[in-house]
Amino acid sequence: MRKYLFILVLVCSSVLFGQEVTMNASEIIAFKKQVQTTASATKTITSDFVQYKHLDFLDNDIETSGKLVFKSPDLVKWEYTNPYQYTVVFKEDQLLINDGGTKSNVDIGSSKLFKKLSELIVNSVKGTLFDTADFDVSYLKTNGENKVIFTPKDKKMAGYIASFELLFTKEDATVTEVKMVEPSEDFTRIVFTNRIVNSNVNDAVFTN
Amino acid sequence: MMRFLLISFLVFVTSSCALKTTKGLQTTEISEATVVNPYFSDTAVDYVYKAKIAVYGNNFGGIVIIKKVGVNKHRVVFTTEFGSKIFDFLFEGDQFTKNFILEDLDKKILVNTLRKDFKLLLTETMPVQEQFVSDDYKVYKSVAENRYNFYFFTNPQGQLQKIVNTSKSKEKVVVLVTPLVSETLSEAKMIADKIAINHQNIKLSITMDYFKKN
Repeated sequence: MRKYLFILVLVCSSVLFGQEVTMNASEIIAFKKQVQTTASATKTITSDFVQYKHLDFLDNDIETSGKLVFKSPDLVKWEYTNPYQYTVVFKEDQLLINDGGTKSNVDIGSSKLFKKLSELIVNSVKGTLFDTADFDVSYLKTNGENKVIFTPKDKKMAGYIASFELLFTKEDATVTEVKMVEPSEDFTRIVFTNRIVNSNVNDAVFTN
Repeated sequence: MMRFLLISFLVFVTSSCALKTTKGLQTTEISEATVVNPYFSDTAVDYVYKAKIAVYGNNFGGIVIIKKVGVNKHRVVFTTEFGSKIFDFLFEGDQFTKNFILEDLDKKILVNTLRKDFKLLLTETMPVQEQFVSDDYKVYKSVAENRYNFYFFTNPQGQLQKIVNTSKSKEKVVVLVTPLVSETLSEAKMIADKIAINHQNIKLSITMDYFKKN
């Protein structure tokens, strides 16, 4: 009886989550190659984004939105414009912040955790974080997209992030969505739209 | 000379004892048994604020989320702009639960300060011990943890604009509230648009701006 129940549960869950299948070894290799090709051809990215913060006790997710600018190899400007003005530029070992006119620079060189988080953000924008030894990585395919889930190995980091998920388009392996899940299962989901690749981006953009 | 010193000493002592909060206010008969803080009292509202914290010259930004989750029960969560949690507190009457705080910030003095600040901001009803009045304000005094809270309501509109936490002689924390400009007076009374929590004895201030869609 228990056996049948188990099979029933398995069948049901594969029906419910049927669209999400683990990639096999050759698919992973092909996918990684596609991501690498896209990433190396990407010199600049500008994109709009909407961020949804989900907290289980709230009626609605908290929605903020803005623009993202990336320039190879590792310049990122993350700018919130709605409902408030806030920009953060990732530049070498510094965060250059402009919080509605209040400017500050944060040295992240000394904080290992912050550096990891910053690397995650920069790399997820680029789409390259496969050579990392800090995470267990699983590769999934869904109907229209590929999904990569990163689970931190480091205990301290796992206290802050349960997993980090990236969604890639099937056609050209660009990142369409980033999701950071906390140990409490609350999460932050960032959806990218209006992505423009390799337009001319001046270095002067990356200041606060 | 001696007498002069003594007099100036006495003047100093007596003047420093006078609490400036009630300066210019007249004591009046107590008309309300309890004072009611209307902000954060609606369980149907997600109170979300952009926050800035300035502490001894350092600036931090983030998002403060306040939700009334039951009778006398509030959840207060502070996250970075990216959404990662910095702290997560639960206030239930006099009970306080620290659900989460970043390890580096988990210092007793900091947690205590934040606990007191948010308790001051969130407490909905307090018994009135004394009542004052001026041309502009009706002021209610209550007792809180060996200290006093003074609630300033505009006269006659009745909007809560200021809460002052004091010892017997000194102001410790001043909370300034700008109510939301709204078509309906009831909403203007219910939603705090801008909040400034200013500490008087340490260099700490927290400013909060209510999320409004552009």
